[in-house]
Amino acid sequence: MTNDLVQAVSILAAALSVGFGALGPALAEGRAVAAAMEAIARQPEAAGTLSRTLFVGLAMIETTAIYALVVALLVLFANPFV
Amino acid sequence: MSIDWWALGLQAINALVLVWILARYLFRPVSAIIAERKDAAQAELRRAAQAMEKAEAAKSAADAERAAFARELSDLQDKAQYEAEEIKRQMRLSAEQEAAQIRQDAAKAVDQMQKDARHQMGEEAATLAVQIARKLLTRLPQEAQVSEFSTGLAEALAALPDATRSRIGAKGPVAVRAPRALTPEETAKLRGDISGALERDVQVAITVDPSLIAGFELDAQTAKVRNHLAADLMQIKEELVRHA
Amino acid sequence: MENPLITQPLFYVGPVPITSAVLVTWGIMACLTGFSVWMSGRLRTTPDGLQSAVELLVDTIDGQIRDTMNRDPEPYRALIGTIFVFVLISNWSSLIPGIEPPTAHLETDAALALIVFVATVIYGVQAQGVKDYLAGFADPSWVMIPLNIVEQITRTFSLIVRLFGNVMSGVFVIGIVLSLAGLFLPIPLMALDLLTGAVQAYIFAVLATVFIGSAVEGGHATAKPATKEPTQ
Repeated sequence: MTNDLVQAVSILAAALSVGFGALGPALAEGRAVAAAMEAIARQPEAAGTLSRTLFVGLAMIETTAIYALVVALLVLFANPFV
Repeated sequence: MSIDWWALGLQAINALVLVWILARYLFRPVSAIIAERKDAAQAELRRAAQAMEKAEAAKSAADAERAAFARELSDLQDKAQYEAEEIKRQMRLSAEQEAAQIRQDAAKAVDQMQKDARHQMGEEAATLAVQIARKLLTRLPQEAQVSEFSTGLAEALAALPDATRSRIGAKGPVAVRAPRALTPEETAKLRGDISGALERDVQVAITVDPSLIAGFELDAQTAKVRNHLAADLMQIKEELVRHA
Repeated sequence: MENPLITQPLFYVGPVPITSAVLVTWGIMACLTGFSVWMSGRLRTTPDGLQSAVELLVDTIDGQIRDTMNRDPEPYRALIGTIFVFVLISNWSSLIPGIEPPTAHLETDAALALIVFVATVIYGVQAQGVKDYLAGFADPSWVMIPLNIVEQITRTFSLIVRLFGNVMSGVFVIGIVLSLAGLFLPIPLMALDLLTGAVQAYIFAVLATVFIGSAVEGGHATAKPATKEPTQ
């Protein structure tokens, strides 16, 4: 019974973790892409440098979501309380 | 959640070995060959720069030579022009001089011709005048042709120096020319006048010469004493011609 | 669904369990070694296409190191370059069917991050001496010593988790999609995986360069405009 409850809570926690963990990076990536677009529109000749920097920055931001995913996976597959 | 420590160790060793292998066989040779090529390119560039420098030097030398040639040429041209101008100037100068000379000569010749013409005209005029006078004088009276001239002859004789005077009539009679045959009185008077002038008694040999017009001409070996109109006319004519 | 956090050893060599990650790493090492030896034998001063590509790679790595550290890249080229090449090929090895990239396992990432950590310490000590390197932890004041030490550990940890999470999530997502619809649908995700793999390899290498650079520069690293140290 307790084990089932822990498993249910773990799944809920994993879902919440991924959901909320994806929220912040999504907003941040949107802002970053918008800023990059504006910059490219203003300076098309710098598009190469800007897009390279943008990809690196997006990967960095995405890492936050990945952390959340890792936590969710830990909760799901390597839960120390199960 | 469990970490496979064996796998961690193996992967760490693997990664280190890979680092060593790639450093040994990939990165070091590749960067060496890049550096080598860079050096070669640098050397090539340096050589090219040297070649260019040499070419520039040759070009500037050629330029200098050309400039020297041009300078020489322009010098020669200047010189030739100068010489030509000099020659021209000299030619003009000499031509001017020649022209001036010719002009001067011409002026002189014209002068001379004018003078000659004037002289000739004067001479002709004088000759004419003398001829007129002679024609007129031939109409003088017979006495007048002789009468007073013996006195003038005596005066002229008296004016002569003593040495000359003493020689006149020393050897025979004194030769006197008269315009006509003299009467005995006239001859006596002439003789008397001459003897008076010479302060000694001399003989007189009369020769007739109508060209004298009037007067006498005493003709000694050393001196001629003229006192007649022909001589006067000659003198007048000479005077006229000289002053023409 | 298979647990992505746990790998079963395929076989044992004596007492040592050999997992698929180690096996694939050996394969990658064999390929890279063979290529390198073959390549080093045919290096010419007038390069062909392949040699030009390799030279471009080396030159780019040199340029990145020089830009980030403002130093001669010679002592760091092998480490940074190997990390980049190995992570890139590991990430892209998922394209071959049946092969799981070694970087999708925590042990490989941890090993790489540990190597970077140790290299940071070694290069820092080598450049500044033990005393100055340790004094660098007390910068700007001794209060910061625990924070600096924690930062050293957390940034290594974040290096591990970033690479592991990205690659593993890519493999995991593709696995899930494959179990739902086997044909065509995973292709865009695989393309995304390729991009992520390349970007993560680049990030891992750049972060390693930044860490080493800051250790080598000591307290002056903050004055460098080119060095940016991410907070994660």
